[in-house]
Amino acid sequence: MPLVKTPKASFAQKLKRFFFVDLIKGMGLTLKYNLGAIIDKDAVAGKGIYTEQYPKVRPDVAPRFHGAPRLNMDPETHDTLCIACNLCAIACPEDCIDVIAMDVEIVVAGKPRRKKVLDEFIFDTSRCMFCALCQEACPTSCLELTQDFELATYSRAGFVWNREMLEQGRETVKYTS
Amino acid sequence: MLLLAPVDVLNDLLLRFFSDETVKYFIWPLIQIGLVVTLVALWVAYATYLERKISAFIQARLGPMRVGPWGLLQPIADGLKLLTKEDFIPEKADRWIFFFAPYIAVASAFIVFSVIPFGPDWAVIADVNIGLLLVLAVSSVGVLALILAGWSSNSKYALLGGLRSSAQMVSYEVAMGLSLIGALMFARTLSLSGIVGAQGSDSIWYILYQPAGFLMFLISGIAENNRAPFDLPEAESELVAGFHTEYSGMRWSLFFMAEYAAMVVVTAVATTVYLGGWYFPFVYRLEESGYHNLYVLVSVLVFLVKASIILYIYFWLRWTLPRFRYDQLMDIGWKWLIPSALINIVLSAFAVFVLQALNGWRGIQTIEGLDRGMNLTATGKGIMIAFGLAGLFITGVLLARINWRSRDFNLKTQRRNIRLVNVPKGKPARA
Repeated sequence: MPLVKTPKASFAQKLKRFFFVDLIKGMGLTLKYNLGAIIDKDAVAGKGIYTEQYPKVRPDVAPRFHGAPRLNMDPETHDTLCIACNLCAIACPEDCIDVIAMDVEIVVAGKPRRKKVLDEFIFDTSRCMFCALCQEACPTSCLELTQDFELATYSRAGFVWNREMLEQGRETVKYTS
Repeated sequence: MLLLAPVDVLNDLLLRFFSDETVKYFIWPLIQIGLVVTLVALWVAYATYLERKISAFIQARLGPMRVGPWGLLQPIADGLKLLTKEDFIPEKADRWIFFFAPYIAVASAFIVFSVIPFGPDWAVIADVNIGLLLVLAVSSVGVLALILAGWSSNSKYALLGGLRSSAQMVSYEVAMGLSLIGALMFARTLSLSGIVGAQGSDSIWYILYQPAGFLMFLISGIAENNRAPFDLPEAESELVAGFHTEYSGMRWSLFFMAEYAAMVVVTAVATTVYLGGWYFPFVYRLEESGYHNLYVLVSVLVFLVKASIILYIYFWLRWTLPRFRYDQLMDIGWKWLIPSALINIVLSAFAVFVLQALNGWRGIQTIEGLDRGMNLTATGKGIMIAFGLAGLFITGVLLARINWRSRDFNLKTQRRNIRLVNVPKGKPARA
């Protein structure tokens, strides 16, 4: 005489159990997913396939995402916009920016003057935390954190970006298939 | 005829160098064995590919896509990778047994293919008249490999996996053998070609006569291959990888191959016994119009398609159902499958008896002939199919009556119920 009452199955439940209704339901669900995935030929995320085909299809990053740094140039003259004011280096909480400038003698209105010109720009991405305070500090909107996210390299030295890399961007393999 | 003319040309060529007997009993079997081993190895490799693809589709992913178009070269890349990996043997392992266990697994899976009829005429290596018995006997040697691997690894996970696999396979072996007997009553032979021939000459598939038998065979076959939902011997979440935890490289891949080859064996046997093997309606017309080799080839194709459908059911079940608990596994084996197999035998025997009794009674004709299996007339077939369908329900109801106590597999409730019997009145019950 069991004192623990187990709920007694109704006739409908018994019939369900007898004909494996729940099993068939589950099998139907997986079959539906399977057929959906086969029909979804172009494999665009959302229809039958829910995964992003990453190297083939670039993922959409968030609009406020901060990625690889870049030094912008004047689109017409291709001179750097950087005035070597060192504000970004001062703003950087991680101290990962080094601005190296040199004095150049120029002639303004017939008088010799000296001007500070950017020589080298060192950006250590291994220490950078992508807070974009340098981008905020930049008066000429020269330094910018782009949406590029492929920063991995084979060595520690590769994480230190020089002026050329910052201006041209780093070469990454682009997969098409 | 043009399609496969080289077969006859090759035969003539061989006859020039060797005697008639050598060619017939030695060289052609060697060619057949080579072909079958190559094809089965390829099939096994691509079964892994299909497994990955289908699992990916069921989980709304794409699966392997990088190696070749649609990742079609993935199995080859995997094989190359495994070949070049280190063959590691643990220090405390039993070296020789550890060494040989994978070979036993693969051999026992591949030997079975020697009797499986992939098609008529030259598409079967050996038409042994105890074919089905050989299949059951040899494929059960595979358990030995798993136990040896588990034992010799000298690791607790491997040992547990080996023990589990031995218990599981021993319990499901019985149900597997018993579930086939119903179909054998109609085929009246153990030769696999004979079973196909019986279904062909009766122009019916035995799944219609024996739906319960087919289901039981499939379930016990899945359990026999250690496949999910019965994959307790290699349960990833409990035992790391079960009996092949300590294996790496090519030896591990041999186990993998053995598992998939054993799956292909079970699908092939299920196809042969229940789905008519290579027999398909109207294909024999090719033979009648003289295209013998084309007929054999189409038959082989039919066989492969049927087996692939059952293989798909394997994958489908694996990626749908969660793993059984160990007591549930044993319950299904001993309390459900074996009684149902016995009930199925009794019912089939009764059905055959009824058919024979009805034959000739008030002008009813049920049996046409008994020389190539049991050939029934249309009335006989109708009666048998009715018996088969009724058998499903009768088996179900009887099993539900037998197992009314363990129906919900709730061990805890059962123990409570047993302990709470005869509680003195007036006192609060304590479990």
